[in-house]
Amino acid sequence: MESRQSPGMQLYVVVWIGLLLIVGAEVALTLAHLRASTLLGLLLVLAVIEAGLGLMYFMHLRYERPSLFWSLIPALIIVLVLMDHFWPDALRLMHQRLPAP
Amino acid sequence: MGESAMTMGARRGALIEGSPYGIPSPKLAMWLFIIADAVTFGAILFAYGYLRVANPAWTRPFAFWPTIANGITMTVVLLTSSLTMVGAVTAAQSGRKSASLRWLGVTMLLGTMFAALHLREWTAMIGQGWRLFRNPMGGPVLFGATFFGITGLHLLHVITGVVVIGVITLGFRRERLDAGHVETTGLYWHFVDLVWMFVFPLVYLMNVR
Repeated sequence: MESRQSPGMQLYVVVWIGLLLIVGAEVALTLAHLRASTLLGLLLVLAVIEAGLGLMYFMHLRYERPSLFWSLIPALIIVLVLMDHFWPDALRLMHQRLPAP
Repeated sequence: MGESAMTMGARRGALIEGSPYGIPSPKLAMWLFIIADAVTFGAILFAYGYLRVANPAWTRPFAFWPTIANGITMTVVLLTSSLTMVGAVTAAQSGRKSASLRWLGVTMLLGTMFAALHLREWTAMIGQGWRLFRNPMGGPVLFGATFFGITGLHLLHVITGVVVIGVITLGFRRERLDAGHVETTGLYWHFVDLVWMFVFPLVYLMNVR
C-alpha cells in the first residue's frame, strides 16, 4: 500500500519559503494597527492558507487517494463551522444570566 | 511451500480487503487522531477568538521587541523543523537510512530549541507577574488563562513530539521500525507545526500593543 509519488525536496523548499513569506505578511499586517476584528479576519485567512499548504504538501494529502481527503477534511470543516455558530450563542447566554442577589 | 499452506495463504488474503484509502492502518489512525486533535485546538481557539474580540478592554501586553521577535524566531524554527522532517521521511522512503537519521536528529534539535525559547518567554512573563488568573497590567484576568492555556497545550504537543521522534529514531536505527513509522511520526510533527500557524497570529500578533 504505497502513496502516490511524492515530489522532490525542491518543491518542499519552495513551500517552506512561501510559508515564511506568509508569516512576514502577518507581522506586517499587525504593525499596520488595524481594527481588532479586521486584523483577526485577515490573520485567519492567511493562517488557513498556511494550513492548506502544510496539509497538501508537507503532510502529503495532495499525493494520497482523494478518498482520504474527502473523508477527513469536509468533516473537520463542518465541525469547525458548527463551533463558529455555537460560540456566539454561548456568549448570549452569558449576558442573560441573572445578576447576583 | 506445500499446497495446503498456499491455499490457506490465498484464502487469508482473500478475506482481508485492501484499505479504501491505500494507506497502512497506523497512518490512517494518525490521521484520525490529527482530525480529533484539530477539533480540540479549534474549540479553544474559537473560544479565545470570541473572548478577544468581544472584550474591548482586552490587555495587549506584547511589544515587537522582545516578544514578537521571539515569536517570529520560534515560528521560523518550527517551520524549518517541518522541512527537516520532510527530508527525514523522503530519505527513509528512498532507503537512505543514515540521511534520514540525520534529518530526524536535526528535527529533534529544532523542536527542543522551540520548547526552550517558549519556556524562556514563559519564565520572563511569570517574572513580570503574569499568572493563569492574574494580570499585572490591571486588565481582564482572562489573558493569562487563555495565553498559558493555549500555548501550554501546544508546548505539550511539541515536547511529546520530540520524545516520540527520539523513540522512532532509535527504533529505525536498530531496524525495529521502518520508513512507514517515520512517515506517521512526520504527520504528527507537521500537525504540531500547523497548529502553531494559528496560535502565533491569534495569540501573539493579536495582542501587540
